[in-house]
Formats: sequence, structure tokens, C-alpha cells
Amino acid sequence: MANQTDTQAVAQKPPREKLFSKKNIRVLTEPLSDNNPITFQVLGICSALAVTVQMNTALVMSLAVTFVMTMSNVTISVLRRHIPSKIRIITELAVIASLVIIVDEVLKAYLYDISKQLSVFVGLIITNCIIMGRAEAFALQNKVWPSFLDGLGNALGYSWILLVIAFGREVLGSGTLLGFQVIPEFLYQAGYENMGLMVLSPGAFILLGLLVWIQRTANKTVGE
Amino acid sequence: MQHSNAYTFKFAAMVTIACSVLLAGAATMLKPRQEENVALDIKRNILASVDIKAGAGESLTRDDINRLYKENIQEYVINSEGDILQDKDPNNIDFDKNPDLKPLYEFVKDGQIISYIIPISGKGLWSTIYGYLALEDDVTTIKGITFYQHGETPGLGGEIDKEWFKSNFEGKRIRNEEGELISITVIKGKVENKIPPEERYHHVDGISGATLTARGVDQFLEKDLNTYEPFFRKVMQDEGDHNG
Repeated sequence: MANQTDTQAVAQKPPREKLFSKKNIRVLTEPLSDNNPITFQVLGICSALAVTVQMNTALVMSLAVTFVMTMSNVTISVLRRHIPSKIRIITELAVIASLVIIVDEVLKAYLYDISKQLSVFVGLIITNCIIMGRAEAFALQNKVWPSFLDGLGNALGYSWILLVIAFGREVLGSGTLLGFQVIPEFLYQAGYENMGLMVLSPGAFILLGLLVWIQRTANKTVGE
Repeated sequence: MQHSNAYTFKFAAMVTIACSVLLAGAATMLKPRQEENVALDIKRNILASVDIKAGAGESLTRDDINRLYKENIQEYVINSEGDILQDKDPNNIDFDKNPDLKPLYEFVKDGQIISYIIPISGKGLWSTIYGYLALEDDVTTIKGITFYQHGETPGLGGEIDKEWFKSNFEGKRIRNEEGELISITVIKGKVENKIPPEERYHHVDGISGATLTARGVDQFLEKDLNTYEPFFRKVMQDEGDHNG
């Protein structure tokens, strides 16, 4: 009798989806360009402006967001059948906030200088609309593995934009890359000057605007 | 799926407990290392105020900082009369709870006091600015200044922690010819264009777009220098005695 129900259950189960099925790959890669959280959905702009003066802050910020976004998506997805819908938003927030605080504490302990430079912006990952958005829109309805991929994909989509902007801002604004001088001294002697605008937020706006423009021109699928 | 209210409460309680246990654990585990970082940062800034720092592109390791600090810096506590309290260690005193006591650091080389270093802090435009000010042994000439913690606008008030602004203070004097304390004023624009030569010693170049940050710096420099003035007076008196 018991055997019978077991076999029935197995028979009813749909065939197991492959780990890297086409659908899952799309979940991972779509946010990298077609559905990029920054350039297409225009979310998470505040931190993209704030931490991109230098490459190393942008890099640490990217890692922090990647960690928080994948972990929160996984956690929410694991709990998705148990989270009462009445308090789902605050539960998502509790999970995200806890992860962010852990990241902040770890940075303070191991990367003190960078954590000083990032200051409030690590804490503000909590309010990064991308993370909350993915938890609510994806992780609550999907299984753990696709949710992981979705979190990772969106985090990488966020990160590469951040790094490209930081690259432009650091090279043009300070003449350095990851703290090392890249603009040679003789150019300065020949009258070259660092572009002060790039150090300020408007510099990030301009670069971001250019990125959005390039992406929308290159990507025919994107557009209204 | 509709859940009952009782379940909702139970779930909320469980999430809360899980999160707090996790965070309390992480905070407790990482605390010693974080406190070490803060202490190290303070040491690095005290050293930087007397120009002991890493060259461009280099950085000092933990051990370097601890060693240099131990070799060069001596720590004291002074009271509001300006007397050094030999039995006190500034690392064990909560200066917020003992407003009469102040930390004092001396840069000593080969038994000679080269410089007195005092902490400075006060409101800028958006944030409290923290730093250290080092005076030469005449307690009049500025040897160096650092600003290490602030939340001023990057590119505007945030320029205070840039080298050009800090080196601006070096060699300036906080006293007039008669030895009276007159502090230092950050002006708008360049000192050489705006200030008559005889007063240039008491003014430093300003940061354009950061008038309010500069005003804050003026105010807390004056306030902190006044706090330490009883001690400086005693130093000057001793100097006089030795010379006489």
C-alpha cells in the first residue's frame, strides 16, 4: 500500500528541470542587458551615483549587493510557502536588513578604510529598490535555484554598470585606476587636467545617461 | 495561501528571534576586530599630523603603525588647569563622561619634545568633523593637521581632508607677537590675494563652495585651542624659566 502511493507520487511529479535549462539561463542573463535593473528599469540609481567615484568602492559595493541580493532571494524563496501574505513585505525587509547589517559589520572589521568611504551607503543597500523588487517579484513565486540565479543575474547587472561608471569617473576625474596613477605625468605637464566634474554626482549622471543611450540604441528589443 | 492570525504572529516572532540571534552573534564576534581598527585609525591620524605617514601609493601595515606609534608618540591626560596627570592613561578614560580631562599626545624624538598633538572636533555643515592638530614645541606654530572623519559634501566641504588644504595650515601661527591666542581663520579665496602680509600667519586658503564647512572649522579650532590653552600657557612659562 505504502509502496503504491510512493510510485504514484513519483509518477505525478513533472520531469525535473535541468539546472541550466534555457529558462534558467535566461533568468540569469536577462538582467545583464535587456532587462538591466539600472539602465532599463532605472532602479538603484542613488547608490550608482554615490559610490562610483573610485573603482575600489564600487567593487566592494558590488560584492556587497551581490551577496545581499542572492542571499535574500534564496532565503525568501525557501520561506515562500511559509510567509504569511499579510506580513510578507516586512518579512522581506527583515531578511534584507539582517543581511545588510552583517555585510556592514564584516566590512568594518576587515575593510575598515573602504567601509569608512562607503559610510552610509552600505546601510542604504536595505533601501535599494532592486533587492526588494526581486524578492517581491521573483523569489516569492519561484523555486530556490531560479531565485538564486535571478538574484545573481540582477546583482551582476547592477555591478557591471557600477564598475563601468566608476572606471570612467576614476580615470577621467582622478587620473587613477584602483588607486594607481594611469594618466602619465607628461600629459599633466603638457596641460592635461583631471575633470573635476567627474568627481561630483553630475559626472555619474552623464555617464549613466550615455550608457542608457548606447544600450537602447544597440538593443533593438529594448524600447517603448 | 491564507494563513491564520495566530500563525502570522508566530511567524513574525520566529523571524524576529532568528534575525536578532544572527545579528547579535555577528556583532559580538566582530567587535574586537572593529575596535582594533578604530584604535589603529586614531594612531595613524596622530602620526599623520606630525607627518609620519606612508609615501604615495604605499600603505602602513598594522604592525608598522603600532611600532611607529610606540616609538614616537607619548600619551598623557591633562586636567582643566593644564596639569599633566601622570597616573592616568587616555586609553582607559571615557572623555565624554569626564569633560574636565583631555587627552594630549606628544611627539618625542631622542628625549626631545618635537610637537604637541591635540584632538579637534566640531560641527561642519552636515556632520561632525574629527581630526588632530599638531603644534611645534613653541606651542604657537602649526606643525600639521589631519581631518579623518567627516560627512561633508565630496568635492566641496569634503576637500578638507585633501592634502592641499591640510598643508595650508603648516607653519601658520595660532598666536600674535604678544603670545595671545588668536587661532586660525579659513578665509574665502587665497590668503596671498586677500590678507595683508602681517596677518597672513593666522589665515589659510579657503575651499570654494564650502563656506559653512570652513566656518565650522574656524569655530571648533578656536574652541579646542582655548580648551588646551591652560596647558600651553604652562609650557610657555616653563620655556621662559629655562631660558631665564
